[in-house]
Amino acid sequence: MLDYDQGPQVADLRSQLRRLIADHVPADYLGAFTDDPADLDVAQSFCRLLAEQGLLCAAWPEEFGGRGASAWEQTAVREEMWAHHEPRGAQYMGVNWVGPTLMRHGTVEQQRQHLPAIAAGEVIWCQGFSEPDAGSDLASLQTAARRDGDGWRISGQKIWTSYATMAQWCFLLARTSRGERKQQGITVFLVPMDAPGIEVRPIPCMLGPHHLNEVFLDDVWVTEADVLGEVDEGWSVVQEVLAFERVGIARYARVERLLRWAPDVLGDAWDRLPDELRSRWARMLVHARRARLLAYRVIATQQTGQVRPGDTAAYRIAVTRLDQESAEVLMDIAAEVTSSDGDRARFRRAVEDHHRYSVSATVASGSIEMQRILLARALLAAA
Amino acid sequence: MNTDLSPEAVEYGATALRALEAAGGDDLAPAGPGERDGGDAVVKVLTDLGAWDLDPRGSTEELEAAAALCRSAGRRAVPHPVAERVARPRDVDADALVVVAGGGAGAIAAAVAGLALRWVAVDLAGRRSRATPRPDAHPVGKPGVAVPLDLAPLDGAGAGDVALGLVLPCWTLLGLLDRAVDQTSDHVRARHQFGQPLSSFQGVQFQLTDAEVERVGVEELAKHALWSLATGRPDAVADALALRLAAVEAAEVVFRITHQLHGAIGFCDETALSWISRASQPLRRLPFGPSATRAALTDHLGRRGLSGLFS
Repeated sequence: MLDYDQGPQVADLRSQLRRLIADHVPADYLGAFTDDPADLDVAQSFCRLLAEQGLLCAAWPEEFGGRGASAWEQTAVREEMWAHHEPRGAQYMGVNWVGPTLMRHGTVEQQRQHLPAIAAGEVIWCQGFSEPDAGSDLASLQTAARRDGDGWRISGQKIWTSYATMAQWCFLLARTSRGERKQQGITVFLVPMDAPGIEVRPIPCMLGPHHLNEVFLDDVWVTEADVLGEVDEGWSVVQEVLAFERVGIARYARVERLLRWAPDVLGDAWDRLPDELRSRWARMLVHARRARLLAYRVIATQQTGQVRPGDTAAYRIAVTRLDQESAEVLMDIAAEVTSSDGDRARFRRAVEDHHRYSVSATVASGSIEMQRILLARALLAAA
Repeated sequence: MNTDLSPEAVEYGATALRALEAAGGDDLAPAGPGERDGGDAVVKVLTDLGAWDLDPRGSTEELEAAAALCRSAGRRAVPHPVAERVARPRDVDADALVVVAGGGAGAIAAAVAGLALRWVAVDLAGRRSRATPRPDAHPVGKPGVAVPLDLAPLDGAGAGDVALGLVLPCWTLLGLLDRAVDQTSDHVRARHQFGQPLSSFQGVQFQLTDAEVERVGVEELAKHALWSLATGRPDAVADALALRLAAVEAAEVVFRITHQLHGAIGFCDETALSWISRASQPLRRLPFGPSATRAALTDHLGRRGLSGLFS
């Protein structure tokens, strides 16, 4: 029978996370990536705190330092973190997909080297995927690695690389051979960002600092031990990573929080808003719930060991549109907030941040067009 | 957490669908290609299935079975008020329940107005009335979606009927959306233009995905609203209105797209979409259309919002 109650364990975890956030994250925190270095410090110390309490990598198996949290506990962590402007900073990538990918494909040595650092919240990873001529068409990447003695030399250019200025490691794709299909001959390298030959250039953008960078690689030396999985077989690893990413961000949670906050901030002025604007707000609440339930549909299916790519794509389409549509509604509401006292000013800044960031929702981590292609493929493949 | 109907409910819905297909399938629909006596055949099938014995207020199992039944009825666009009959109040003598907009006015689908049923109407405030269709308002042979009701006040004890009366017809509408998307997927695979199937054109694919995202979103909200009802949550009416809003907005998108992708054949009664599309109209307009549903939901929510992660 249907049951949308996630149970006391998840409720307790949520309460615990909210207490930690209330006690250790400033009320006006809008993420680690601002011009104020203190925000990055907040994320760093919050990650260490979560790690100490066994919450940073709760989803991981016990053998890798986690506690094997249930899928719904993992969901609660994702929701609470994103709703509160991701106080884990860039570390969420290490926790959500770098670590799990290393568990599946890494050697024992790679796991020993990297997993404890991720689990302790001490390391930031960046993702060296996109290139100037390989965005959605990722398999067209040209960054090349050639064998050199007992290691590899990597040269090329990556772009849109979030957190590259602060990352210690890069999960990098490079071409190691050319097969009949462009998906063949790609290899995953774990590259230390302080290796000679790496240059990072920040790209100023509307999302704020640290989000977008170019990474230039000029004969960067890595060893054989830095190859993840099989040489030339990186594409299958990439598919797993992209799948992790597609359900990784609980965008609907931040939208729900901001929508719920709006009437409280406006107080009696809420009732004087145009009917049409309040009606759009109510509609967005429905869309936020819809996106959340679509996420739960994916998670519930995954628990049974099935993968339905169409469901994941439908969720991604719904949630990224929600991000953008809700941002428009919230900006209209925020424009009605005239007072600049603490909570009202915080609401306005949070909404403005949400709006700027939402612009990238249908582009980042696999564009909405790619999701529509995946969904169409699933729909039209059905007999 | 469990986001699926019980296997028994799913099986009951599948059995109902098979029985409806065996009894005539698309010929049962009011504008289907066969004889227009589908109503009697539908009643016989549903009676044999024990549909009128289902008590959706009595147990979660029966509520889920009722929802699955309504979805199957929707898939076949059956010309009978299945959801309304299953939802009938048990504390008064009645055959069917209809939610009305309030203000002393109400209407039901024209296709079922001529049936000899004792209707009870309930508005969002829980006020119930005996309801009698005005057949003279819908002349035989003339097209029309709705027939007005004469309402005679009964009592104010219908608060518990509202959510059920809103949710089950949404399951019927979901069945119609299922069918429209399925039919269109089949059509674009089969129909060739410019030497290739329509489904190979990205413009076609992307429209279809827009319809599917709407459909699957309604499916998830329909299950959630059912659970809210089954567990007696105080937000059940809000959840039902949220479902209704998503369902009627989805229907607008789905039928616009599925008609477009069918081209002219979609207007012809040899194509299921032609009558599925028409059968959706009363469900989308009654008791209120998208604008009035939005207004009703907004009023109902006040400053509180929907239940969720932060309420």
